[in-house]
Order: sequence, then structure tokens, then C-alpha cells
Amino acid sequence: MSGRRRLIGHNGAKGSGSVLRLPSARIAVGILAAIAFLAAFGSVLAPQSPLAINANALFQGPSLHHLLGTDYLGRDVLSRLMVGTRLSVLTAVEAVGIGLVLGAIPGIATVFVGRSFDFAINRVSDALMTLPYIFFAVAVTAALGNGLPQAMIAVGILLAPLFFRVTRAATLEHARAQYVEAAELLGASKLHVIRVHVLRKVLPNIVVTTASMTAAALLAVSFLTFLGIGVQPPTPTWGGVMSSDLDYLAQAPWAPFIPGVLIAVTVGALNALADAFRDRSTAGTLVIADPIVHTDLERADGDRQSQAVA
Amino acid sequence: MTVLSLTRGGAAGAAGAPPPRRRRGRVALARIGGGLAVLVPIVFLSTFITFCLGALSNSNPAATILGQDAATPAAVARLDNYLGLDHPLIVQYWNWLVQAVHGNLGRSYFTQIPVSVSIAQRLPVDLSIAILALILAVVIGGTAGIVAAIRRGGWLDRGITAACSAVSTLPAFVVGIILVVLFAVTVHVFPANGYVGPSAGLGDWLSHIFLPSLALSLAVSADVARQLRTSLVQVLEQNYIVGARVRGLPYRRILVRHALRNAAGPALVVLGNDFPQMLAGAVAAEVVFSLPGLGQLLLESAQTRDIPVVQGLLLVVSVFVIVVNLVVNTTLNWLYRTDDGMGT
Repeated sequence: MSGRRRLIGHNGAKGSGSVLRLPSARIAVGILAAIAFLAAFGSVLAPQSPLAINANALFQGPSLHHLLGTDYLGRDVLSRLMVGTRLSVLTAVEAVGIGLVLGAIPGIATVFVGRSFDFAINRVSDALMTLPYIFFAVAVTAALGNGLPQAMIAVGILLAPLFFRVTRAATLEHARAQYVEAAELLGASKLHVIRVHVLRKVLPNIVVTTASMTAAALLAVSFLTFLGIGVQPPTPTWGGVMSSDLDYLAQAPWAPFIPGVLIAVTVGALNALADAFRDRSTAGTLVIADPIVHTDLERADGDRQSQAVA
Repeated sequence: MTVLSLTRGGAAGAAGAPPPRRRRGRVALARIGGGLAVLVPIVFLSTFITFCLGALSNSNPAATILGQDAATPAAVARLDNYLGLDHPLIVQYWNWLVQAVHGNLGRSYFTQIPVSVSIAQRLPVDLSIAILALILAVVIGGTAGIVAAIRRGGWLDRGITAACSAVSTLPAFVVGIILVVLFAVTVHVFPANGYVGPSAGLGDWLSHIFLPSLALSLAVSADVARQLRTSLVQVLEQNYIVGARVRGLPYRRILVRHALRNAAGPALVVLGNDFPQMLAGAVAAEVVFSLPGLGQLLLESAQTRDIPVVQGLLLVVSVFVIVVNLVVNTTLNWLYRTDDGMGT
């Protein structure tokens, strides 16, 4: 892994092309595009109704009529997964959105507002990190009612500290750069510094975190729906399909593998994309085009750091 | 998700030039003070968040307990007064916390069983799964990491690295189901579900918790293996290892006494950080293998909106996470302390 990473990091720091140069990233983007397509049009394209019960076709293996077989009520598994994609993916994206807003904004703000504010927000973030996802999400649904929005708010709140830490660390690194000092001496306001100097530099870190957090959120959502949190039984979700398969392992031992593989492939694609972004933006060099003067010194430093990582 | 920096915040200012011997005590005190300044707010905040869940729920506990017919306004007010629900939120929180410190987490709204009793009944299930999972993670992850590092570049190394990547994308509940299918449904080696305590016989107990623990440990094993491989490869390239080989020391001894000792640090950190989450992850294993643990209790009480039980569970788990993190960080700091006594 280290050898490959160094190679990619090196290319990444020098080349100006997009993340898509890496084959792993291309495959990941392809998979994610397919999942996004399913989320958008899955319910229209599903070959059969996800809720249609057929007592004559229980636990059928994959066939031409049912490409992925049928479940314990004779419902078409492929259709259920296609229709369930939207709910599973959208809720994960919602959670990440909540985490991003709640985490990234304070992450930048703490660096500029003051030390006591920084201390307070850090402790809140630490406290949130002691709460385990699933316990907290289930507890929140107990308090606020059993629904996916409630569960997603809970997961989003717990994702926030991770965004917060990454953003704060990256902001700290760049807020002390000499060009920021120069800008401040020239009379630039804090908002200007954040907007022009910090935000652009911090963005790559946020992108990496977003990709890996989406993977984490998707796992959390699948597990919660697997537990029966947030959705009522006939509504299809990835985790839900899996949980109904679990009760009938004796009849159809292969059934849980289908949603399992779907979840694993999506999570794997998101992680691969996060890795690709990380390699691309080694140690603070940019993913996006940067209009600000990029000194040779900085580039050399980025290269050295990327090699140190490897 | 880690609380890696739990004890570090206060130490950051003290770090710098190594202090002279006399000042060591003062530095240590400052460290502990700094650690407490970070730790105490965390404990209060996380318990407060837990407590607020109850206040956030729109449910009216008194009405719930009394039932629809008996819930006259006067009876509700009386019960509210008895339960202390007529105080301001912060007073309620303080009373709840003081009681919790004394081991009283309240009673279930429905069964009237003390929450601490229910938790104490079920905690052993999760603890035994989590601890066995930890042991398995050390054995599996350690072996895989060492083998990969020794045979680096070979097919075994590539296989292990690929397996690690694959395993880390699989959530614990999916791994659990795969294990059930493989070992319990297809080949009847292990029971597919249920739990018996260690009092019923050690072999029986182990056979019931083995699959759940294995499911829980695989992702952590992958983390440990990757970390150990990386650091061991680095250590094995150091001059002192080459020197030891030149001196003709047996390879096994070099590996264990010289290399592993120095390479184990980062892997131990990974393990220590993952352990608190393992207790939470035990929920996944519990559900798949239908074991009567904390997770099942949480799901049942969430369905009935039995707030005291939910609060108690969240409190116990988050305090567990905080304590284990503290112990792990202190141990690691002590193990890898440098000469100036500052830790790593």
C-alpha cells in the first residue's frame, strides 16, 4: 500500500489532472454514479412492484423473471433493492449534510473567534465523540419518535465532531501562513481571509472527509434500517431487505449476500474515492485550481510531506 | 471515532524543551490538571446530552405510567412531583447525575425494574463478546500483520492486504450474517444464536460467543494488521535490526525482542481506540445472533419509549467509552514515555 500511495501522491502533487486519472477512482465514480442513478430512477425502473406478494414464488433463486430471486413473501428482491436505494442513500447524504454544516462551520470559526470559544466547542466535540453512533441514534428515536429523519439528525450530530476536527486542524495550518499574516497586515477582514485564503485551502480536506463520512453514514443507515429503526416494514431499504433475509436463513442462505454485497460495494467505492482525493491533495496541496500564488517552496514541501506519509 | 486527544489538550502547552529532573513532578501535575480540565467538561456534557433526551421527548412519563384512565391532572401532578419532574431541567439533571453516581439509574416506566439491575444482567454478554473480540483481533490482526511484513511484496502479503481492504468495507452485521451462513447453517459447527453464561460450562459459553466475537473482531483485525505491517516494515529496515542480523542473532528473536517491541506501538493505539467502540459494535453482533445483551435491551426500550432505560444505557456506554479511552491513553503514554517523562 505504501509503495502505491507514494507513487500516486507524487503524481498527484505534480500533475494538474483530475482525481479521475486513478483507475480506482474511475471505478469508484462509476459505481457511485450507478447508485445515484438508482436512487433517482430506481422506483421508476424497477421491473416489478416492490410490495407485490406472490405466495407461489417464495424463496426463489435468481431466474430470468426474478433476476435476484424472491424473498419470504415472494416479492422481487431486485425491485425492492432498486426502490430502496433512494431512501438508503438520501438519508445517508442528509446525515452527512447535517454533520458537514454543524462541524465545518465551527471548525473554521473556532480558529478565528477566540480561545475560550475554541475550548468550549472542542469539549462539546469531545463529548459527542464519546457517544456511540448506534446507541445514540436509537436513543434519539426513542425520545423523538421512530423515524428516519430523527435517526439521521442523530447520526449527523455524531458525524459533526469528525468534520469539526478535520476542518479545524486544516484551518489552523493555513491561518498561520505568512500570506494570511500579510493579508491581515494589509487590512483584510477576518471574513475576507476566511473566504479567500482559508476556505479554498481547507476544501480538499472537507471533500475527503465528506466521502469517508458518507461511507460511515451509509453503514449507520443500513444498520439502523436493519434494526428496524426509522422505517415501517413494507417500505424497502437495503438494511431492511437484509434483516428479513436473516429470519429465513434455513430456506435461503444465499439471500443476505445480495444486499450485503450492495452495501459493501457502495461503501468500498466511497472509501476508494476518499483515498483517491487524499492522495491527490497530499498534505495540503490543492485539488482545485488555485489563483493564489503557489510558491515553489510550498510545492517542494508538499512533495516531501507526501513522501514522508509513504 | 476516537477520543485520542482526550488527555493531550492540557499537555500541549507544557511540551517543548525537556524539563530538568526537579520539575518533572510539576510537569506531571500540570498534565493531570490539564487532563482533568478536558475530562470533567466531557463527562458533564455527554451525560447532559444523555439526560436531555428524556426532556426532549414529548412523552409525558406520569401519564404513561398511570395509563389513559387514571391520568387525571391531579394524579399526573402528584406523580410529577414524586418523580421530580416539576423542577427546572438543570436541577433535574443534577439530581439524576447524583443518583446515577450512587448507582441508581431510576426504574423502567413499564416494568418498574431498576435500570441498573437490567443493565447489570445484560452487560456480561456484551463484555464477554467485546473482550473475546479484542483477543481475536490481537491474534488474527497480529499474525496477519507480522506475516505480511516478513513476506512483504510476496503473494501472502498481497493477499492479506487485499483481505484487509475487503473486510473493512463489510459492516459487522453483514460479517455476522456471513458467519452464521457459513458455520451455523451450512456446517453445524457453532450455534446460530442464543447465549449461555460461563457458569453453564466454559466450552458451551465460548461456542456461543465465538461467532459474534469473530464478526466483531474482523474489522479491527484488519486495522491492526495494516498498522502493524506498516510499522514493522519500517522497523525491519532500521540499522539496528540489520546489525542484529549481522551479529548472527536468531531471526525469531530479532523479530520478537527487537522489531515487534518497537513496532507494536501504533497497532496498540489502533486497538485501544477501537475497543470502546467494540462494546457499541457488540449490539450488531447481538442482534444477528439474538443474544440477550444491552443492544436488545436498547431496542426493546426504544420501541416502548422507556426513557429511563434508554438514558441509563447511553450513560453506561458513554462513561465506559470515556474510561477505556483514558486508561488506554494513560497506558500508552506510560508504555511509550520518553526520557523526559512526557510520553509520546
